[in-house]
Amino acid sequence: MSATTYGWLVLLFPLLGTIVGAFGFRAFKGRSAGWFATLAIFLSFLAGIGALIALQKHGVHHRQLVSSLWNYASTAGIDAQMSILVDPLSIFMILTVSGVSTLIHLYSISYMDGDEGFNRYFVYLNFFVFSMLLLVLAGNFLLLIVGWAFVGAASYLLISFWYRRTTATKAGIKAFVINVLGDVGLVLGTYFIFKHTGTLDLLKSFHAATNPAHPAFGHSPNDGDLVAGCVLLLVGAFAKSAQIPLHTWLPDAMEGPTPVSSLIHAATMVTAGVYLIARMHPLFELAPAAEDVGAVVGAATLLIAGTIGLAQTDIKRVIAYSTMSQIGYMIMGVSVGAYAAGLFHLMTHAFFKALLFMGAGSIIGAMGGEQSLDKMGGFRKSMPFTYGCFIIGGLALSGVPPFSGFFSKDEILLVTGERGGWHWALYVVGYIGAAFTAIYTFRMIFRAFHGDPVPEARELEEGHLHHGEPVNPATGEPEDTAVGFPGPKHTIAERALPMRIAMGILALGAVGAGLVQIPKVDFVIDDFLRPSFAGSKLYEPHTESSLLWFGLALGTLIALVGIRVAYLVWVRRPEIADRARRQLRPLYLLFVNKWYFDELIDALIVRPFAAFGAFARDTFEPRVIDETLIGGTTGLVRAGSAAVRAVQSGFVRYYAALLVLGITGVGLYFLLQT
Amino acid sequence: MTIGWYLAVSAIVFALGAVGVMTRRNPLVVLLCLELMLNGANLALIAFSRMWGNGDGQIFVLVVMTVAACEVCVGLGMIVAIYRRKLPVDVDELRELQG
Amino acid sequence: MPPLSILIWIPAVSGLLGALLASVRPRPPAEEPAGGERRSWSVPGFTALVGALVAFGLSIGYIADFHSSGPSLQHVTDVMWISTLGIHYKLAVTGLNVFLVAMTTLLFAVAILASNVRSGTPAPERPRLFYFQFMLAESAVLGAFLAQDLALFVAFFDLMLIPFYFLIGGWGRGPDKVKATIKLVIYTLVGSLLMLAAAIATGVLVAQHTGGHLDFELSSLGSHGNLHIFGAGAGGGNGSGLSNGAQDWIFLFFAAAFLVKMPAFPLHGWMPDGYRAMPIEVLMVFSGVLSKVGAYGFLAIVLPLFPHAAVHFQTLMLLIALVSIVYGSVQAFSSRDARLVAGYSSVAQLGFVTLGIFALNPQGAQGALLQMVNHGLVVAPVLFIVALLAQRSGGSEDLREMGGIAFRAPVLATLFLIVALATLAMPGSSNFVGEFLILLGVFKAKLAIAIVAFTGVVLASVYALRLFIRAMHNRVGERVESREISFMDGAVIVPLILVILFLGLYPQFALHRSERATSQSVSVAQAYRLLNAGTAIVGCPSPSVRRFEEISCAAGKTNSSEDNGVTSLAPVTGG
Repeated sequence: MSATTYGWLVLLFPLLGTIVGAFGFRAFKGRSAGWFATLAIFLSFLAGIGALIALQKHGVHHRQLVSSLWNYASTAGIDAQMSILVDPLSIFMILTVSGVSTLIHLYSISYMDGDEGFNRYFVYLNFFVFSMLLLVLAGNFLLLIVGWAFVGAASYLLISFWYRRTTATKAGIKAFVINVLGDVGLVLGTYFIFKHTGTLDLLKSFHAATNPAHPAFGHSPNDGDLVAGCVLLLVGAFAKSAQIPLHTWLPDAMEGPTPVSSLIHAATMVTAGVYLIARMHPLFELAPAAEDVGAVVGAATLLIAGTIGLAQTDIKRVIAYSTMSQIGYMIMGVSVGAYAAGLFHLMTHAFFKALLFMGAGSIIGAMGGEQSLDKMGGFRKSMPFTYGCFIIGGLALSGVPPFSGFFSKDEILLVTGERGGWHWALYVVGYIGAAFTAIYTFRMIFRAFHGDPVPEARELEEGHLHHGEPVNPATGEPEDTAVGFPGPKHTIAERALPMRIAMGILALGAVGAGLVQIPKVDFVIDDFLRPSFAGSKLYEPHTESSLLWFGLALGTLIALVGIRVAYLVWVRRPEIADRARRQLRPLYLLFVNKWYFDELIDALIVRPFAAFGAFARDTFEPRVIDETLIGGTTGLVRAGSAAVRAVQSGFVRYYAALLVLGITGVGLYFLLQT
Repeated sequence: MTIGWYLAVSAIVFALGAVGVMTRRNPLVVLLCLELMLNGANLALIAFSRMWGNGDGQIFVLVVMTVAACEVCVGLGMIVAIYRRKLPVDVDELRELQG
Repeated sequence: MPPLSILIWIPAVSGLLGALLASVRPRPPAEEPAGGERRSWSVPGFTALVGALVAFGLSIGYIADFHSSGPSLQHVTDVMWISTLGIHYKLAVTGLNVFLVAMTTLLFAVAILASNVRSGTPAPERPRLFYFQFMLAESAVLGAFLAQDLALFVAFFDLMLIPFYFLIGGWGRGPDKVKATIKLVIYTLVGSLLMLAAAIATGVLVAQHTGGHLDFELSSLGSHGNLHIFGAGAGGGNGSGLSNGAQDWIFLFFAAAFLVKMPAFPLHGWMPDGYRAMPIEVLMVFSGVLSKVGAYGFLAIVLPLFPHAAVHFQTLMLLIALVSIVYGSVQAFSSRDARLVAGYSSVAQLGFVTLGIFALNPQGAQGALLQMVNHGLVVAPVLFIVALLAQRSGGSEDLREMGGIAFRAPVLATLFLIVALATLAMPGSSNFVGEFLILLGVFKAKLAIAIVAFTGVVLASVYALRLFIRAMHNRVGERVESREISFMDGAVIVPLILVILFLGLYPQFALHRSERATSQSVSVAQAYRLLNAGTAIVGCPSPSVRRFEEISCAAGKTNSSEDNGVTSLAPVTGG
């Protein structure tokens, strides 16, 4: 089979999983829906491998294959086919997405066991993966937007999965609306690019923009349309990848079940922005101004998210801000031309972030649904497996050699530094962010696992899993257990084999995935992705520089120092944390309140529209439309009709008399005339 | 005989009918008077037809008679319907169309 | 295929037949059926359904038989109706109306089915009259879509109003139904009268202009302009050739009639009361179909006949559309009445349609036409679901009293979710393709307006999801009774959803057939716009502009496809 056939299969399996799951939601008993969904994604992963093998048979210059099924919308100058683009970049994404998703599905089978919405959950989950795969396989802008928006819709469904919680439905609608904002950016960006290149097909569009013979070829860089288009694409990328200032949905998205957070953060959704920039690199390279915007926003996000992560107490939110920060690295990377490095980091991040979320899910299970770090502690002995996984994930996230995050993060920063000029500022910001990363990661680990065991941990040491009253951790209101966490049952990794398998595989990835691309040793990712970036001027120049060794050493040092600081503050001398909190109160408040982004957006956008809506409903409509316009019109009509109406007495005889009089009058008139 | 006499009779019949329509309240009588008006007009038509010596007026009268028959049918039907619904059989009481 | 008269009149005949077949004696008062139970069918209801289904089958046949490369008027019926006035009884299927006709017949069939089988509600009283009026309305709408003569169009347009007047006044609900009916009738009647005056003026003035006889046939009215367009497809006219001043006021009269029907801000005053008063089945077709007649009128009559005025008032119309979008969306997300959410969302959606039409380019027109079909397919199930929700929350359509029924009614929730996502023009639905094309058209015509219009896209996601969440999620409302959708209720919605899904997967199905007709209907106006902008006279615009506007200079290479309408322009003076 050809690579594109495999590409269609990659899409087919999750889609079938969704459809069959949706129609048979009453037929699946027990855990069978979960196994079925997992199988669908796993088959998709296998098809991805098939595509990889098939593609490698092609020559290096023929590894961008397009396959189209039917005309989707080709009219009035636009040309959108139902087409997919299979090339190393999309296969890279397919394998990452479907591989990690398979493990998350596997984990969910145990984690969601006993939830009333078990079958519904897996339908949504399959749909989510399908959307993401559609996004990365799309062969034209229109289909890309479709996948893009499907991801948003799927995330909405999963975030508000426990829909009895008002917090969950609010978080869901927030995520959806911000994502639609991103869609709008993407659509507008598409318009500008379409205006410039005259086609919606991805490859044709790149070709038109870069080929000197084509009329769309701009001789000067920073052509207005192209820059506008790319900046608007970035708006889409920022919304989906939770970059400032469109990030506020991501922490709230923690309302969803924990494996969903894992899916959103590791494999799907937030990585879409990184993919988008990498995919559109021929256009971005022609619009350096847009690239700079991306790089600066990525750097700002990685720094700001890092600081917020330092102050949060909800374990899932700490990890969420860490994701924002890491995606900031990737966005910065792909924006400065470190495509392979950014995508490499995307992959390693998928492993360790999924792992961390799974570990968090396990702890939350042990705490009976409680997510606050303030109430956790001392789980080291009672949950050795989870602890081990957390340590591995934490080391990879902090960038300690030889864990995977070390190589990928440093490669991004290396390429950034090599660009020179003002990019050195980004380089510095990246390393400052790395220090924050190490500190907040190990703050979380130390607070959850070290110290004195909390009652829940003791209970677990005695072999009994804690069960609390089901309350919403955000508001404290009692849960509707029919559709709300925690279901009747909690699960921890130590007691569920599927969870252990999933976490074990991810832990292996988190440890070893970095080895595929060790500086000066091997370049697996670089070489594999090269055909997709064939036209790029910036792709991995591999300069021999002392910067490489300096960066590696600095990264190691910063990670170790960060961990040491976290150990000092949160294990050895906890009073330092209190003192720092008191002395740096303004800064602490800023971090705890997430730099007041929510409040800002609320005041600037939400409230004005709501006020406008209330004004329109309560004042404008009744006063202006109803009273003035309609009242005025009806008043006129009524006044005019009042005179005429008097004649309509309803007496037939009266009408007859009028008739006779009228005819007599007319007759007399004509008689007198002649 | 001059045409004037015919027309005078026709006018008298028509006027009688018109006065009846305007003054009576029983719909049955109103219908009756309507017939009277029509026949007054018919008389004039016949007279003119005779005067000019062609059949146009007579044809017209036939049409009028047909229409009149239809109208009586409908009218009587309505009166029966009104009666059955126990509504007052009085045109002054039936004034729902009042503006 | 049988002649179009059969398609038009079958509904009315079946309505009449049902009225005659049914027993004359009033049925004994049916006892109130318990919730969820199926009702027995009435003879008129069944006959009407058969008639509606036959009409739907015929309209599918016309789609299948439509040749997108054939003549622009197909299956023509042309009989002289009133020869002294030059009024023809001329009907034809065109790329503009073929899908609107199918959408109309589908919605009517579904609405008739709904009025027969909707659970938990009594059958309509006086069924013979009800179904006769209903089917007469269908005939009138079909006639308006298919008419190819201005006077005939006006006649059908006004005929539509009559049955709806009786349907709302006689079968409406609520204490204000008479007031609402009168409001609606006055609004639409004023619009209709203006349109009648404008139509007569058009015929008379064109006859004066050409020195010929009165003739109301659309294609001959539209062939007297002085702008010659080369490369426009066969049958493409070049305007009515009226003076600019005459075009302007005639345009405004037509626009008033159509904008009231749609409705557009600020002429939507009848909408809230009217929507609240209508029985749900009537509202489904009223909102789904009648609003489209107005938009169709712009595309089929106003743009081809009065291109100069269309260009002259382009900005005004775009602004009206824009305000409708923003105002409708804002109202939709602050309204507490579920039915009004649908109503105001229609104001916004029809705003998009107007926006697309007055982008005056093929993209906008294509998108507008697709969006007209989409909106009809989407708003009808939304309204029907609102009615189902109201049944479950003790008869109230207030959003604050709903909530939380998704758990016991997963199928209803899923159907509603699909419809809600289609309403907010989720990419993947054909509503998205429609909006994409509309906004692309506006983007090309007036960038700033396109950007503001995008707020409508964002706000749509707010109000559609708000409606969904308030009804389905959160805690169960106090008086809410969670009940799954009944089989027959499902039978009403599912066909619509299947069509929505089909068009979502394959929008080209509709786009392909309407492409030539839409580009023809905007081609004259587009040419005027470009002439005004001076691009065609003052040398060649830059290559990217040229390609973007689908024009080419005489010397330049032609890189637009023939179907895109204007390929070359030259002003020619004289008639």
